[in-house]
Amino acid sequence: MDAGLLQQMLLGALLGLSVYLPLRCGQLSLASPGFYAIGGTIAALLSTRLPALGGASATYPISSVLLEMGLAAALTGAIAAAIGSVVLRLRGIYLAIATIALVEILRVITLNLAITGGALGIFGIPQPFNGPEGYAFFTAALLALVCWLCDRLERTRPGLAMAAIRDDELAAASQGIDTAQIKLLAFVLSAVVAGITGVVAAHFLNSWNAKLGNFDASITTLAFVVLGGSRTWLGPVLGGLLLTALPEVLRPVGDLRLIVFGLVILLGPLLFPQGLISPERLQSLGRLWPGPKRLGRQAP
Amino acid sequence: MPTELIQLLLNGLSVGSMYALFALGYTLVFSVLGVINFSHGAVFTLGAYFTFLLIGGNVGSNGLLAGFQLPFALPFWLALVLAGLGSALVALVIERVAFQPLRQRGADPLLALITSLGAGVILVNLIQLLMGAESHAIPTSSLGNLPAALNIGGAMVRTVQVLLLAIAAALVVALTAWIEGSRSGKALQAVSEDPITAQLLGINSSRMIQVAFGLGGFLAGIAGGLVGLSVSIAGPYFGIGYGLKGLGVLVLGGLGSVPGAVLGGLIIGLAEACVPADFSGYKDAVSYGFLFLMLLIRPQGLLGRALPNKV
Repeated sequence: MDAGLLQQMLLGALLGLSVYLPLRCGQLSLASPGFYAIGGTIAALLSTRLPALGGASATYPISSVLLEMGLAAALTGAIAAAIGSVVLRLRGIYLAIATIALVEILRVITLNLAITGGALGIFGIPQPFNGPEGYAFFTAALLALVCWLCDRLERTRPGLAMAAIRDDELAAASQGIDTAQIKLLAFVLSAVVAGITGVVAAHFLNSWNAKLGNFDASITTLAFVVLGGSRTWLGPVLGGLLLTALPEVLRPVGDLRLIVFGLVILLGPLLFPQGLISPERLQSLGRLWPGPKRLGRQAP
Repeated sequence: MPTELIQLLLNGLSVGSMYALFALGYTLVFSVLGVINFSHGAVFTLGAYFTFLLIGGNVGSNGLLAGFQLPFALPFWLALVLAGLGSALVALVIERVAFQPLRQRGADPLLALITSLGAGVILVNLIQLLMGAESHAIPTSSLGNLPAALNIGGAMVRTVQVLLLAIAAALVVALTAWIEGSRSGKALQAVSEDPITAQLLGINSSRMIQVAFGLGGFLAGIAGGLVGLSVSIAGPYFGIGYGLKGLGVLVLGGLGSVPGAVLGGLIIGLAEACVPADFSGYKDAVSYGFLFLMLLIRPQGLLGRALPNKV
């Protein structure tokens, strides 16, 4: 398989996880592309404006990429905490609306500021790897790490509390769960994942502009989770991988790409309300599997 | 009053009246279903393209229908009404496909947000596939022999803008009269209050929801045709932008409130007109700024009611 396509699929899976985290507690947030754009802009600005980060060697040092990721995580996390503490108090529909507005405001600002290069964006972002293979390895490691963290989360108290909030927020609150805190946690984690994904994407794409975090991107990433399922982390990963590969697989249809996405978003909730992967489905799969029951864990 | 101020006011009001017209249908559907119909912007786009085709516009050189032109050219007003009806029909189909199955299953209303978004994405991209991504203009000559501009209190105002304002005002008055004065309008209010109780009282709730969708689609289609006339049809995606900005209008006025949608539209139109030319790039952010502000200080909007948290 083409390493460049694989890299894009891995980035898609990461973005899928970012949308999945708030949805796990029943909060529909469309803000992920906005935080992704912030991460990308940070990486693009730092790596092109600060020669000190470039180091002496021909390729851009990976330690600088990690530094950018750290900064992006801190900034997106802080923004998400500030916005989330206001918006998450409100009912579900307001969160979706507010996050759409957030993505649009960020897009308008990026489009108009001189430092972000206006409509053209920022070019010539330095490369830490010599080819897409290096990126794919790096991103695969990052994805594995985020998946592992999500898996831990699903089995521990905050993750179980998230599922409880999704199923019935009032009941969860009556059981002593601090619903506001848990929802905020999910929102911040989602922003951080999107932010660090943006850093990697900016280096990989070599240029960065306002178009990368627009409403289209919100729709695309939402489709990842709707197709894959939002109740376990495997769903969005699978959805992200599949739907990012889809345009390449369906290359002959070309212009139909977004129509196919639209169909997925329209028919997904009607035909598979749970998405392709749900804990129950994994469990029945686990029963078919002889030997150690790796997949057949209790549904959260 | 200085002429610049009159100019600014009329510009703002005519843009705002289009936002209001657009937001009316948006808010009607919200009031009966409690959910945002994300396909509304796509239906608006469709209304603009219908109008463009019906007045005899040529598709141009892109898309599968390249070079297509209807063999007849209707006068603008007839084309606009037919476009509104066509849009209403499409809105009804969307209701049937994207909303009804979820409602019958008693699914989470947030899912309808997603399915309506899907329907909108399909619609917009179908338009792009058939007619290409280029922009079109509905020439003002299709209105017949009207003067290009009117002199109002010393300010020169485009005739089109005055017409927009008048049509929007007439439609708002008619809609309000229908909702407040007629039996079916009262039924609509009852359904938006509580669909199940309304059903028990002998109102066909499903039928009223369809009425809301049909009316909303009609108003969106009319708004699309009018914006196409006064500005232009900036490609198949231009309605999506309206749909997103319209969220600001809805939240400002109060989700589900008909007078709120009108007020919100006018305020945002006027505010956008007041953005200085040096910052015109930020004009698009005005609506979202209002949205955030309202969520911060008064989530139920200017004219909405706060809903208690029901168990």
